[in-house]
Amino acid sequence: MMQEITFDVTIIGAGPAGLAAALAADKAGAKTLLIEREARLGGILKQCIHDGFGLVRFGEKLSGPEYAERYIEQLPNSNVTVLTLSFVSEIHRDQNDSILTVITREGIQQIRTRALIFATGCRERTSRQIGVQGHHCAGVFTAGTAQYYTNILGKLPTKRCVVLGSGDIGLIMARRLTLEGAEVVGVYEAKPTPSGLTRNVSQCLWDFEIPLHTSKTVTRVFGDARLTAVEIASVDARIRPIAGTEEIIPCDALILSVGLIPENELAESIGVPIDAKTKGAVVDEQNETMLRGVFACGNALHVNDLVDYVSESGEIAGKAAARQDRKSRGLIPVECDNSLLYVVPQRICRNAEELERIFFFRSTRDMDNASLTITKNGITLYTKKYAHLRPPEMERLPLLLKPEQITGNEPLRFHLEES
Amino acid sequence: MSYCKRINRKLKARYGGHVFAREDDRVLYLEGELEHWDEIVAAGLLAANRHRYDGLVNDIKFTGGTIPPMRLPKLHDSAMEGATPDVLIIGGGIIGCAIARECAKYDMRILLVEKEHDIAMQTTSRNDGMVHPGIDLIPGQVKHHYNMRGNRMYDEICNELDVPFRRSGQYVCFHGKTMAIASFFGQFYYKIIGLKVKYLRKREFFEHEPNMNPATSSALYFPSAGVVSPYGLAIAYAENAADNGATISLDTAVLDMALENGRIISVQTNRGTISPKVVINAAGVYSEEVARLAQDRFFSIHPRKGTNTILDHKASTRMNTIVSSFGTSSTKKGHTKGGGLVKTIDENTLVGPDAVETYLREDYTTDAKNIAYVFDKQSVTDPALHMRDAITYFSGVRAATYEEDFVVRKGKWTKNIIHAAGIQSPGITAAPAIAVDISTMAAQVLSETRSVNKNENFNPVHKSIVRTSELDAQARDALIDENPDYGEIVCRCEQVSRGEVKDALHRSIPCDTIDGVKRRVRPGMGRCQGGFCGPLVLQIIAEETGKTLEQIEKSAPGGELLFGSIKEVTQQ
Repeated sequence: MMQEITFDVTIIGAGPAGLAAALAADKAGAKTLLIEREARLGGILKQCIHDGFGLVRFGEKLSGPEYAERYIEQLPNSNVTVLTLSFVSEIHRDQNDSILTVITREGIQQIRTRALIFATGCRERTSRQIGVQGHHCAGVFTAGTAQYYTNILGKLPTKRCVVLGSGDIGLIMARRLTLEGAEVVGVYEAKPTPSGLTRNVSQCLWDFEIPLHTSKTVTRVFGDARLTAVEIASVDARIRPIAGTEEIIPCDALILSVGLIPENELAESIGVPIDAKTKGAVVDEQNETMLRGVFACGNALHVNDLVDYVSESGEIAGKAAARQDRKSRGLIPVECDNSLLYVVPQRICRNAEELERIFFFRSTRDMDNASLTITKNGITLYTKKYAHLRPPEMERLPLLLKPEQITGNEPLRFHLEES
Repeated sequence: MSYCKRINRKLKARYGGHVFAREDDRVLYLEGELEHWDEIVAAGLLAANRHRYDGLVNDIKFTGGTIPPMRLPKLHDSAMEGATPDVLIIGGGIIGCAIARECAKYDMRILLVEKEHDIAMQTTSRNDGMVHPGIDLIPGQVKHHYNMRGNRMYDEICNELDVPFRRSGQYVCFHGKTMAIASFFGQFYYKIIGLKVKYLRKREFFEHEPNMNPATSSALYFPSAGVVSPYGLAIAYAENAADNGATISLDTAVLDMALENGRIISVQTNRGTISPKVVINAAGVYSEEVARLAQDRFFSIHPRKGTNTILDHKASTRMNTIVSSFGTSSTKKGHTKGGGLVKTIDENTLVGPDAVETYLREDYTTDAKNIAYVFDKQSVTDPALHMRDAITYFSGVRAATYEEDFVVRKGKWTKNIIHAAGIQSPGITAAPAIAVDISTMAAQVLSETRSVNKNENFNPVHKSIVRTSELDAQARDALIDENPDYGEIVCRCEQVSRGEVKDALHRSIPCDTIDGVKRRVRPGMGRCQGGFCGPLVLQIIAEETGKTLEQIEKSAPGGELLFGSIKEVTQQ
């Protein structure tokens, strides 16, 4: 009942990022609170029953729930306090502390925390955000929602569907629904190349003979109460439908995998600056945002392809958040030109103790024999060759930067070039 | 030369003998054949004259397409067989629901039939929710009268029914020096017709709405404008009517009527035959059809579609009230108040609507070009408007007569019918006043057969479902202490608790669909559009109603979301 409880580190969201962050903060000796709005821990991993998780971290192919369990099972041996079915409705800042209002079944709690970590994940883009028109009937599902119905409730949301978007969840759901006996008429992608990982295109579509149609999109859905058909159209280079190319495909559902949006409404409410490219917070290499004591990690920071990197980013944030000292950071901007979609972190600390920084980036387009150049002050600090770069495949780049390489406030610049 | 002759001359000039007019008993009938719907509408608008005739019936045959029949419920049973209500209200939109509630103030047995699976499913849920000041209405119009009266009733009715209402006021912006001067003199016109209005210089306007188009040179402020949830109000009206003894029968469509000596003696529905003493026609886009069945058709409806777009809360902080720009709303030509930008009662910016004539009375589809048109038009008011901020869009169809006026009166030929027809914009504003008058007429007609008294037990007070996120922390905490379901957030975009979803399923008007819950307590109204909460709401509905997950529908029978258990469905 309304009493204020104090923690060193509070993490919002108990998916892979939040779990890793909580354990890391606890390990570093911080009094840690993990808040989850759902009844069970694990976030979206709970419904990802396919395998392929954990190859990088554990050298094993785990299912989503198994991967989550690797972290959840550590919690009883830790001092992390866990709140489930608990919803952070508001955050206020008080000096460098954050004060959270948490709605729970036991009442409203006030939490004061020295450090706050946003591990709030991401949400799916909806049919309205990509401008699907026509009827507003039952049978339009985001891939994640369809996955919940299929894997958590064990109920089929479709018998014959069209998948729009070749993001990883869309590919995985195309396979999953096929395995359950539903007919996937095809996967349609508005871009000229698939959005998902190459391995998913191969394992989810080719192995099951599901056709992939690129440069095509769904423009309309039909159906009074339940969807009965969709209209497909070819698109031009600017992803605008081309008149006269429409075809009608009878089906009972449209499954959408058209992008993920980091969830940062809470972070924005306390003024955390957001990167327009990643839609996540602007952070340094410790995943600390531009607000001192406020961190972001996982898919809330930028949408990752692999859960292994999400966990790593949670650990970095958890460990850093547990530190008591808040010495001046000496931030240097990290910038990229339009050969890259983005680089994370967007800042590095000149005064960091660890010399190794881990950067994540994506190329803007498919590139063969590309070379990455990192410069500062016109001086090349680093170059690396890549045989292939594809926007759907995020690159992880650990980089040792000596203090003498990063003097001055000039930005670190990332540039990619095909040779 | 008679008016009819003059009209025929004009029709001949325009349609080359394909269309002609005849008059009979103060009704003007148009007959003939045309290929284009827009021409049929144009002929009706050209011929209509509300001063000379009680109405215009447009019987010009449309040869360019097939007009689909009315959507009918899938249900067939005899639940209503033999019912003998004093008053039968046809249509459960805001008009029908408000009438039911006002009729409940008398000792009448009331039956409201609605063909959809829930009330407020059509036009009532598909508009901008504005309570209009009456800017572009003309004294003498029926709709002007009811708009002015209805507007004044809003504070009290929303207070009684516990429905959120905000008298936010409306700004009409003017651009350029000439228009600024014109608007200064314009204010006196509005004052003469009885509107409260204030002329604002540029600086004064920007004090109130700082983010609008910098080219705005002046504005007129109409303080009596407001916003309400139109479906929220309709549901409250219906629940209050039901609480006071009215019967609401959903999935019930009127199929036919039998008359004797100029009186309706029975009404056939898909759920049995009803024998009412008085029939009230509040059937919206199908009010002409109901009038035809009642042998009292003296007006025609030409449906007019409009599309609105809702912006994310994040993008909705740019304005606080209702803002439109002079000349951008389709008011002059299209007879719609064209809200412009409306900050809804739920704090989203609404953009729209447009106005497109259509012969499809229940066409709620949306089109990219209509939305683009509206955004283009409204960007005069706020140049930063962008489709990327949209979280949803929807269409509604207005039930316009050719006189572009409401029909609120007793039957012309049939003795026991009362029409509340042709209700388009500003129908939401006018509803409370229309309902009062219709209930008085119903009492008069009923008193011809039996004495009518006030209902001594009428309780005007309705309690809405509590919105936990709007309570202060202490009250919210106390409520959670009482019922922990109020502390479990199901929809995080709109912060809706499990307790509120459960409440929506146990009210006096039955609700058992995802959209029904959405319209009552808002899960799925936010930026994720139900991606996260949809499955949770579906499970709660199943738990609370005892149905299986597969039986739960999005909004109507046939709109089930799930097909059955995996491994079972596709084994056939």
